Amino acid sequence: MSSAELSQVVVNGLLLTGILALVAVGFSLVWGIMNIVNLAHGAMIVLGAYLTFGLHQWKGVDPFLSIPISMAALFLLGYGIQRLLINQVIRAPLLATFLLTFGLEILIINLLNYFFKADLRSVTTGYSGSGFTIGPARVPYIRLAALGISFLLVLALGAFLRRSKTGRAIRATGMDIDAARLTGVKVAKIYAITFAIGAAMAGAAGSLLSLSVPFDPTFGGSYTQRAFVICVLGGLGNVVNVIIGATIFAFVEVFVGARLPALSQAMTFAMLVLLLIWRPQGIAGKSV
Amino acid sequence: MNRRRVVTWALLALGLAALVLLPRFVTSYKLLTYTRLLLLALMAQGWNFIGGYTGYASFGNVAYFGIGAYTTGLLMIGKWHVPFFPSLFAGAALCAILAALLGLPILRLKGHYFAIATLGVAEASRQIADTWDSVTAGSTGIDLPLKTEGEFFYYTALALVVGGIAVTALLVRSKVGYAWVAIREDQDAARMLGIATTRYKTLAYSLSAAFSALAGGVTAYQNIHVTPTDFFKLDYTLQSIIAVVIGGTGTVLGPLIGAGIYQLLSTYVWTKFIELHPTVLGILIIFFVVFLPRGLVPLFRATRRTVQTGRGFHWRDLFANIRAHRVT
Repeated sequence: MSSAELSQVVVNGLLLTGILALVAVGFSLVWGIMNIVNLAHGAMIVLGAYLTFGLHQWKGVDPFLSIPISMAALFLLGYGIQRLLINQVIRAPLLATFLLTFGLEILIINLLNYFFKADLRSVTTGYSGSGFTIGPARVPYIRLAALGISFLLVLALGAFLRRSKTGRAIRATGMDIDAARLTGVKVAKIYAITFAIGAAMAGAAGSLLSLSVPFDPTFGGSYTQRAFVICVLGGLGNVVNVIIGATIFAFVEVFVGARLPALSQAMTFAMLVLLLIWRPQGIAGKSV
Repeated sequence: MNRRRVVTWALLALGLAALVLLPRFVTSYKLLTYTRLLLLALMAQGWNFIGGYTGYASFGNVAYFGIGAYTTGLLMIGKWHVPFFPSLFAGAALCAILAALLGLPILRLKGHYFAIATLGVAEASRQIADTWDSVTAGSTGIDLPLKTEGEFFYYTALALVVGGIAVTALLVRSKVGYAWVAIREDQDAARMLGIATTRYKTLAYSLSAAFSALAGGVTAYQNIHVTPTDFFKLDYTLQSIIAVVIGGTGTVLGPLIGAGIYQLLSTYVWTKFIELHPTVLGILIIFFVVFLPRGLVPLFRATRRTVQTGRGFHWRDLFANIRAHRVT
């Protein structure tokens, strides 16, 4: 690898880290607090992407301004899903919530397919494609902005969980549901809020991704897998672990992608399986 | 033999006779649907060993479906032109061994981790089939010898499913079945009782792989053309899981009943609203998980109890699962 190529790979890895952290943070929260592996997480990301696409295409809303809108929409959807569906069976064996979120994923993807067709979409603005260079490496403005916004949202979520009353209630519920209930926490509502926040983060990630990657309704599945691997790499528990996991994953993906593009997914999974065998609790995480 | 067992056996014999005579009464196109139903049942039986009885939610059984299909196909068109049945069983044996080797590391994982690791195995197998050009011909795929007798495939599938029912019924009434259920209910307790958990889990996983491979091999011969995208589709795994969940996890006849309901419903929806087919599938999954997580077999049992005790099935029973598992 030449030094020019290497510096581009490093820059790409850094830019990817932010968006992947945002992709994984909601997934990690839902998994860590409620022990739900949300297979519909990717579908929610795609919903965010289509919201941005639709608002830009038909209402002329700037993609960056549509981020709060898609976060709010996904927050409401997530709240409803958790309150009406997942809360009803959350204490059933693992397979139940796994299958339930899978059913939701199929539902969302197919409905998107029905309304938007399976065409590959992308959001193109006046500033798409422009950027600047540091030495031999190119940095597109959009991806730099995505990096900034992603880190802002991830750190804001971390602060919210640590400092606010609701955030504390969420963490307390994740630690011990009965003790939390004894102190007056309304568990069903807190669960719904947790899932809603996870969905909102997915929505923001989708809006940002729509700016730099072409997408179709099935595009989310690979992001669910990435979020999972990131959570396993970093471990659950807090947003710093997510950032660590996302960093490792982004650099591995960029390096493998530059050398062996055909096997990138198989490599990711091989890495995952080896890691799980070696340390089922993740590299940085504590046992869950 | 008491009266209930006589009735059970008579019903089973009647069902089997109906399945054997079926090809005389339906068109060859319809027969294709029924063959698919049986192959789905076969794969579901396989999933039932690991997912239903042992409680390990495998999401990667399609890996063995695909490997079974490729092994069968490659042996048939290779240098030696191995006949169909030896090729089919060679595929099953290969998958059983492969699953045992892979099972040693991944069966140590629990819950979500196991599920995703199996998903990874399936994805990795697809990519290997896609890139290993010298053997699998890459994404172009391979072509098997042409065979168009629909009845041949139907009866092959039927024989395998009946064999599967017999194997399941024998195993679950033996030490093996009790060990599986013990592992499902509490693995640590099972180990403390002296059950060699690793051995039984690996057996369940190998069996499920072999059943998937059989389904894959027959499907390959029937479809003629085998490609990585068609034969490593996640849909096959999911359909088999849904079939088991509909029929009743950890029951002998559940996979067949579930596959029957799923396939007939799916064909109906497919012909009526082709575009919304997966939506109906999604709603079906959600419905069963929320209202009937143990499938229809427990419902049949409830009906039988009604006959005996007079306490009927009530629609409120549908909410029993929610009452037991919701959070307030």
